[in-house]
Amino acid sequence: MNIRPETLHPNRAEMANWSGSLVFRPRFLEAPRNEDEAAAIVHQAARRGLKVRPTGRLHSSSPIIATDDVAVSMRNMKGVFEHDTEERWALVGAGTPLDEMGRDLNDIGLATHNLGDINVQTVVGAVSTCTHGSGRRLTNLATMLIGGRMITADGDVRDIGSDIIPAARASMGTLGMFTALKLRLLPRYRLRRREWCTTLDACFGQLEELSCRCRNLDMYWYPRSDRVKLRTLDPPGEGQERIGGAKLVLEREGWSSEVLSRKRVLRFDEMEYAVPIEAGPECFLEVRKRIMERHRRAVGWRVLYRYVAADDAYLSTAHGRDTVTISLHQNNTLPYGEYFDDIERIFLRYGGRPHWGKKHNLGAEELEPLYPQWAEFRRLRRKLDPEGVFLTDYMSTLLEEEG
Amino acid sequence: MTEGSRTWAVPGGRVPEGSTGAEPENTSYDMLCLLNTGREDASISIWLYYEDKLPVGPYPIEVKAERVRHVRLNDLIDPEAMPLGIEYGILVRSSVPIAVQYWRQDTSRGKAIATAMAMPLD
Repeated sequence: MNIRPETLHPNRAEMANWSGSLVFRPRFLEAPRNEDEAAAIVHQAARRGLKVRPTGRLHSSSPIIATDDVAVSMRNMKGVFEHDTEERWALVGAGTPLDEMGRDLNDIGLATHNLGDINVQTVVGAVSTCTHGSGRRLTNLATMLIGGRMITADGDVRDIGSDIIPAARASMGTLGMFTALKLRLLPRYRLRRREWCTTLDACFGQLEELSCRCRNLDMYWYPRSDRVKLRTLDPPGEGQERIGGAKLVLEREGWSSEVLSRKRVLRFDEMEYAVPIEAGPECFLEVRKRIMERHRRAVGWRVLYRYVAADDAYLSTAHGRDTVTISLHQNNTLPYGEYFDDIERIFLRYGGRPHWGKKHNLGAEELEPLYPQWAEFRRLRRKLDPEGVFLTDYMSTLLEEEG
Repeated sequence: MTEGSRTWAVPGGRVPEGSTGAEPENTSYDMLCLLNTGREDASISIWLYYEDKLPVGPYPIEVKAERVRHVRLNDLIDPEAMPLGIEYGILVRSSVPIAVQYWRQDTSRGKAIATAMAMPLD
């Protein structure tokens, strides 16, 4: 490999995440156009003792994207590079935004098995943080990863082999810098999206059954009225024609990439915890009670209740257990700390695991007992990056500090 | 023919912080009743004024031609959720003449309804 002498680009500008709650100023700002440039960035950084941090599209609101050293955007490495519609896979650039990827895959007859409510993140950011949609039988987006390529800590390009897949699926850029991801996909498919308005009392007793019947189901609860919006997605001709006590307010059919996500303009900060599915209802009801008693004065945003199927990625928030996720939201112009911190204590009592890309207050000491494969992830991470090139101070606090 | 005004004010807003009884029917709230009798859709901006900070808005609302719409101020989050239990005032600006009524339900002790026409400013 030919390493160019002037690889790193000095930066003086502040960077802010999507919500604006996280501001940092990296010394170098990079956007490689190919693997040679990406490898050169890592090589130079390692040689100079600098940390390398992929930033995705800055959508995360936890400090996993922040660095004082080298921030790397993969925005120039995007698109579908290779695909096989019969074998149902595609190799995509790490910096491909999910919305663009959805359109491109649809054009060649492929689709992801699910998407989150927002689809502006890069595919590598979504995979690396266990971003997910909602569906009792649907795993998070990290589980799509079956291969690809990455830049190692010493600046070499290597395949993401099956030996590291369980760690790579939720690795937050700490194993290496991913440049291309090989994804397991589905033939493209159509869905009918329906939105229903009801109240918590009317729907909560039906939720378990609905979650088994619907391909996708999530629930928004509105703390200042106790009202609820249910969203269901099913193949056309299937799913719920009616839900007891609920009024159908929206119906739309389209390709999965068109109807799974919605455009979000209003910005917010968010905390999300994943709890075992059997604990979901009780945990939610306790959260609801606490919000109504203590936080309604300042909190008008809804609480989101979703389902994610279990998987085996070492640091997946659904590792080894079918899961319910509960998300708190607050306008990004309003304080969130007291609200999030208070409710976080409830999540933890139910064995909650925080979303890697959203607000939380946990470090390695609290996280390690939540993940049965924690030690194996750490062993592999240290083996791949012994000098900690991909380990900023925050990531070290998150993953490395011993209890 | 269109009736009403394009600008309206409600100086005496205050969403009661507490609620008693089953919700949502017994949630305390402040509400604006917006009546558009004209043949054009109304694009409405709501601004909220406070004692100790700059006005917050616009909260965008659409009311179709020859339709009425009731908007609970508690529920608005765009651009941000309003705090409950404090004094505030409301300014309503509309692209076409409309009529505006203010409505409060207070269930903090029993159930009390108060209502008044907003004040036309133009």
